Amino acid sequence: MDKHLGTTITYNEQELVSLLKNRDERAFSYLYDNYSGALYGIILQIVNNADTSNDVLQEVFVNIWRKIESYDPSKGRLYTWMLNIARNASIDMLRSKSFQNSQKNQQFPENVDGILAGATTQINADLLGLKKLLEKLKAEHRILIDLAYFKGYTHEEIAELEGIPLGTVKTRIRNALIQLRNILQ
Amino acid sequence: MNIQEYISSGIVESYVLGLASEQERAEFERMCAAHPELRQAREAFEIQLEQQNLSAAVPPPTHLRSRILEELKLEKDKISSLSSADNGFARSTERSSDTPVVKMKNWWRYAAAASIVLLLASTVLNFYFFNQYRSFSAKYDALVKENTSLVEGRRALQASFDEYRKAIETMSDPAMAIIRMAGSQVPGSPDPNSVATVYWDTRNKDVFLHVNSMPSTPSDKQYQLWAIVDGVPVDAGVFDPVKGVAVLRMKNIPRAQAFAVTLEKRGGSSTPTLDQMYVLGKVS
Repeated sequence: MDKHLGTTITYNEQELVSLLKNRDERAFSYLYDNYSGALYGIILQIVNNADTSNDVLQEVFVNIWRKIESYDPSKGRLYTWMLNIARNASIDMLRSKSFQNSQKNQQFPENVDGILAGATTQINADLLGLKKLLEKLKAEHRILIDLAYFKGYTHEEIAELEGIPLGTVKTRIRNALIQLRNILQ
Repeated sequence: MNIQEYISSGIVESYVLGLASEQERAEFERMCAAHPELRQAREAFEIQLEQQNLSAAVPPPTHLRSRILEELKLEKDKISSLSSADNGFARSTERSSDTPVVKMKNWWRYAAAASIVLLLASTVLNFYFFNQYRSFSAKYDALVKENTSLVEGRRALQASFDEYRKAIETMSDPAMAIIRMAGSQVPGSPDPNSVATVYWDTRNKDVFLHVNSMPSTPSDKQYQLWAIVDGVPVDAGVFDPVKGVAVLRMKNIPRAQAFAVTLEKRGGSSTPTLDQMYVLGKVS
């Protein structure tokens, strides 16, 4: 639904994908109007900083534009594909040197703006989205999902961080995901 | 493991959320192709996830929409060159390839924007500094002029100060013989109120004259000082009673009994005009 222009164009997923693959600008506007909020929510939850999230969202849409050719509908829905691009870009940002430095700087009291912006974002991100769902999980599961999904650690890294066997990490994550699906249903 | 067990093992969620390993993902895709019910389970979870995300959506700042859509228009010009082979689901291949290109491009854009800003700033500063320069240059010229006139004034003051100091030194020197000449001493003086003083150095016989009060001279005439030596008037030099000059150096006079001043033609006379004698003083 393109509310911006007062028109009510809707596309089914096949139409949308084929228009996107033709680099149709209206299709990208549609994509932005309908999905930027959902993706921005995920980015905010991972990055926890509004300014950086703006940059990441831009990068995500540029990547969608560039890689749409390689999107294969047989492997998943368009949104799933975009969500993974958004998560990957957010985690890359989280791990970039420049971002880590800027987070360090925010600890200094003179950077009041940064601290306030960070604080507001923190509240929003914690109240909304998947992280809210995570609260319904057991603590041992919640931590693992947070590390794996929102921090982007591999199972091996988590095993080392948490001091638990790799097999246990895998089992717990699987169990956590099953619980998560039940909560979603 | 039958397909139902596989479906409920958590692999569906793991795959969709991008948490499955390379091997698990390949296996899942193979299984999907063979089992429509696995595919359905995957789609069901995808739709749940999408709905959940949409209901938890956070609208990005409004200005971002035009910024991003503009960025995509710019991308349109150069899509053909970039075509990625990975399918976007794989986190590992995602990371390295494309993001640096975006950063580079943005970097160039920021650099270009920065250089334009710097150029403008530099132009404005040049103009500002040029005006400053002109204004300071004018002020400098004025100061130089003022300084020159101050120096000249100071020089004139120094000169007259030196004059007065010399006069004071002459007048207060204990070796000076002081001969006061007055109009009252001359019967028939043209100005009986006139007074002048001779300072006569007893060591080297130099003669100095101080005009205490005498009428100013017409332009064709000058006063002439005479030393009276054994009744004979000897020329001791001509002078004008110029203002500001305290003591005039006259001619050296080795011996005299009196001094007198007459008004003579400009340049002086060889013998005094006696009816124009203004003042007279005897050496005591």
